[in-house]
Amino acid sequence: MTVASQQSQYLDRASSSALVDVVDLILDKGLVIDVYVRVSLVGIEILTIDARIVVASVDTYLRFAEATNRLDLARSGTETKGLPGLMDEIQESGGRKKTKGALEGVKDTVSDLLQGDESDEAEDEAGEREEARRRESGDRPRHRRSSSRERER
Amino acid sequence: MAEEGRACYVYGVVTEDRSDDAVRDLGAVGDPDAAVTLVRHGGQAAVVSEVPVDKPLGTPEDLRAHARVLDSLAARSSPVLPFRFGTVVRDTTAVTDELLSEGHDDFARALDRLRGRSQFTLRARYVQDAVLREVLTEQPDAVRLREELQGLPEEAGYDQRIQLGQLVMDAIAAKRAVDALEVDRRLGPHALASVSTEPSSAEGLVNASFLVEDERRTAFEQAAEELAKLWNGRVRIRLLGPLAPYDFVADAMNPAKEGE
Repeated sequence: MTVASQQSQYLDRASSSALVDVVDLILDKGLVIDVYVRVSLVGIEILTIDARIVVASVDTYLRFAEATNRLDLARSGTETKGLPGLMDEIQESGGRKKTKGALEGVKDTVSDLLQGDESDEAEDEAGEREEARRRESGDRPRHRRSSSRERER
Repeated sequence: MAEEGRACYVYGVVTEDRSDDAVRDLGAVGDPDAAVTLVRHGGQAAVVSEVPVDKPLGTPEDLRAHARVLDSLAARSSPVLPFRFGTVVRDTTAVTDELLSEGHDDFARALDRLRGRSQFTLRARYVQDAVLREVLTEQPDAVRLREELQGLPEEAGYDQRIQLGQLVMDAIAAKRAVDALEVDRRLGPHALASVSTEPSSAEGLVNASFLVEDERRTAFEQAAEELAKLWNGRVRIRLLGPLAPYDFVADAMNPAKEGE
């Protein structure tokens, strides 16, 4: 993409080809042309990504409690184990379990979970996970999201 | 174009005057060696490439290629009408005789509405330790639970742990609601439209897309930079763009909506 048009000291303007970013940007977005015009579409099989997982669960609470407990209030540094490792674990378990007591608003997508790390590392992880979650299905990508987005027609 | 076993992948529609310089060699969906080209008809051009029909689409590289082509066009200039990933038609004749002919008026309206405008997408996340510290400062109950748990073995204090974790997540959710409004309050005035999605991960603050006019772009970017400065150390903010207007193209196509 483009170089920032002005200097950004605090803002991260790095363009990203991380899969998680791309998935979040384009999946389920854009014009569905056969809604607007009659076109003989060729039905090519589209691999789908089922990216939704549930974060809020007893597991999550426990992990957050752990992160909070490990926080060293005496120091200002960031030496606690923190959430990145935590988030990975949540993700591992979150996908399979749909624990009761989910908090509203903290359901999540794989892409959202991973996007914190702008590094290639995140990208690779994402790639693997996406692959793992990928499965074949109908002729439209289905990317279930926790959030409802208004869509015309 | 499109011989046996090949079809025509369509990325989107632009105006006829655009060149394919920016996209020709970017790598196409489904076939990295295929050229991305423009097929022109009636003042408009479809951005297309050849694609093999015998293998499914949707690998990470396919998704990247789709976005790369559209965003490269958007980076040069607007308008760009992005199609949904996976749009494939028979051949270039179908592109001109069906897609561009039939869709001409709808596309023209959307192109008109999106001229001089592009999408910027902002991703904000809390810095984990910083937000946990805030929560502990603001929630005496969290501090109490934390103290109760200090020194307890893993097995003990299960209920308190659950309680603490839930309390922390609730507190972060409350911050999110306030901070997401602040994002919109600061950036919204510089944009024509915005869409934000529900808080992302447990430490996500907001994902928001803005439709920004070229003339307002600098002001918009400045506002984002100021916010990133204000929240430095507390919230990480990334700003992607200019991008193709993935989140706004459907509205632009809608005949019922008046353009600004």
